[in-house]
Amino acid sequence: MPYQIDNRPLDLRERMYFPEIIRGIGALTGHFLRNLFFSRDPNPDILARPRGFGRSDNVTVQYPEEKAPYPPGYRGLHRLVPREDGKARCVACYMCAAACPAQCIYIEAGEVEGDPVEKAPVVFVIDELRCVVCGLCVEACPKDAIRMDTGEHAPPSYERAAQIWDKARLLRGPSVNYQHDPWLRREAPSIPPAQRAAMKASARPFPSVGTDEYAQTPGFSVRVLAAEAKERDDRARAG
Amino acid sequence: MKRFVGMSVTLAALVGGLVLLAAGFYWVAAGLGWAFNWAGIHWLGTVPDGTVSAAAIHFGASVGNVLTLMLVLLMISGSLLTVAERKWSALMQNRIGANRITVGGNPLGGIPFLAADALKMLTKERIDPAAATRLLFELAPLLSFAPVFALFAIVPVGPPIDLGALVGDAAGAGRSIALQVASLDAGLLYLFAIASLQVYGTALAGWASNNKLALLGGVRASSQMISYEVSLGLSLVGSMMAYRTLRLDEMVVAQGHPVLGGFPAIGLLLQPVGFLVFFASAFAETKRAPFDLPEGESEIIGYFIEYSGMKFGMMFLAEFLEITVLSGVVTAVFLGGWNPLVVSTEWLRSAVSPLWFGAICAGAFIVKMIVIMWLQLTIRWLLPRFRYDQIQQLCWKLLLPVALANVFVTGAVILIDPSLQLLAWLGLGIIAGVVVLVLAAGRPAPARAGDHAHAGGH
Repeated sequence: MPYQIDNRPLDLRERMYFPEIIRGIGALTGHFLRNLFFSRDPNPDILARPRGFGRSDNVTVQYPEEKAPYPPGYRGLHRLVPREDGKARCVACYMCAAACPAQCIYIEAGEVEGDPVEKAPVVFVIDELRCVVCGLCVEACPKDAIRMDTGEHAPPSYERAAQIWDKARLLRGPSVNYQHDPWLRREAPSIPPAQRAAMKASARPFPSVGTDEYAQTPGFSVRVLAAEAKERDDRARAG
Repeated sequence: MKRFVGMSVTLAALVGGLVLLAAGFYWVAAGLGWAFNWAGIHWLGTVPDGTVSAAAIHFGASVGNVLTLMLVLLMISGSLLTVAERKWSALMQNRIGANRITVGGNPLGGIPFLAADALKMLTKERIDPAAATRLLFELAPLLSFAPVFALFAIVPVGPPIDLGALVGDAAGAGRSIALQVASLDAGLLYLFAIASLQVYGTALAGWASNNKLALLGGVRASSQMISYEVSLGLSLVGSMMAYRTLRLDEMVVAQGHPVLGGFPAIGLLLQPVGFLVFFASAFAETKRAPFDLPEGESEIIGYFIEYSGMKFGMMFLAEFLEITVLSGVVTAVFLGGWNPLVVSTEWLRSAVSPLWFGAICAGAFIVKMIVIMWLQLTIRWLLPRFRYDQIQQLCWKLLLPVALANVFVTGAVILIDPSLQLLAWLGLGIIAGVVVLVLAAGRPAPARAGDHAHAGGH
């Protein structure tokens, strides 16, 4: 929080120096006693911690034990979004790998039997050490098959190999299901009919602007931003 | 609330523990005094059988005090201060501080870090600069370490109590022991002399390292410490005149005498200006922030730049021991020493046995010492570093004239009214003036920029 500093010259009392030092000691003593006698509120949302008399002023979040949640829209670790039957939504189109400026995505495609998509990644590897966390892969994906909504960052490791994430590690998190997914529209024979019906019932319409799905910051909307930009352009053209 | 209760209990236990510790100190002093007397009778033959030699008792008690006051009280509080520096600064800055070493899941206030630090210092690689002047290089840590211990010798931690009360009337009637290593007639002069010796450690460390940055640190340290010695000495002249003695133990006794309607004549009341000047000067002598120019980490690293391992550790520890000793001297000269102040000393003397009278008084002394140590660490974390010319200006242009004026004013006031009443009124007036100045409206707290956002019409 920025403060506005009053830069007027020191008056006589302040130039006497000692009174201001004693005031400073008083201020530190207040903090010291409050923090000594009252316990820290472990609430990770620091601004929501109660302040004032009889409360600790402590602002620490004991990191590995307590974690402050990342804001919505935070680009965390990648994940391959699963379908409800546990397979990846990915159809191995290579758009994410092509979009990646760090070239950290490696995909090998293979055929799948009994599924209308016919193509799926056999190998899907993301090198988290090379990733620059730009999110272009998420933007590029036409199938909403890769997301960065885990809210985690790459965990530290002793070996580089542990930072190479393969399909088994990437495929996790809540599954996503759209009404016009081919395996629902064209009745994939590999999914049992009962499960297929359940998946159809829970499917949602595909968003026309893909990024809106990930930018979950309240009040943030790509559509609104685009509308504002268009309005600005119109006004500039008119005026 | 749980923490509030726990902390209150801990603090009460700390005060109680200090009183018990002081009682233990008295027992050690008395026991060693009695043992030396016994040895004088049975081994050396210097003491006639069946008598008590004051010299033997005194010598034994002094040896006991060296063991208890210097090795236990001074050393332990000095090393605990290295932990306190972290934890207290953390509390002042709304942090938690060192808490990752736990014993059975409990960080114990960071105290286990003491062992970890000592282990680290002792096992670190020892690197000696090839071109150093070997003898002085090795000597310098000792020279900065030793004077601090020597200084503590004159600090009167506990009052003299009758030895007869401890070991039986026959053995010790009329002989008294006190928690003070040496009661010198020269008292404060000894303090000035030894305090001046401290500069050798830093200056030699800077010179003998054969390193330009270390030399710069050493030179800065010497000029700073020599400058502040002048105001340090002059600031105590007022107290010497007011109490008419140089001996610290007599000063403490004099501070127990009532002035101004029963309030004891403590140095803070009689010499508030002397206290401020002495505290600031002594603070500069300890070479800690805001006076830490000799070690300025960001520019010259300091006079101990070439020191590694435990030799650095000794320099480091000496700084904290200086804090402890300074607290002891301030307590003895300005805060009424072992007079408990919360209750009348005379009443306490008549109410409890001599041993517990001594223990409670010594406990009060140690508590006051802890408060002054805490105050020093608070100032260290409060103020940023002075610029070098500001340090010299503060000394020669502010503290020295003020100290000189204090000497003359105090002398004149004592000349007018030898009963110290007038001096006490003057001191009270000065304290009231400082309080008014402190409470006078300063500049308002800076407004948060966010508060203006609405008014600004964003």
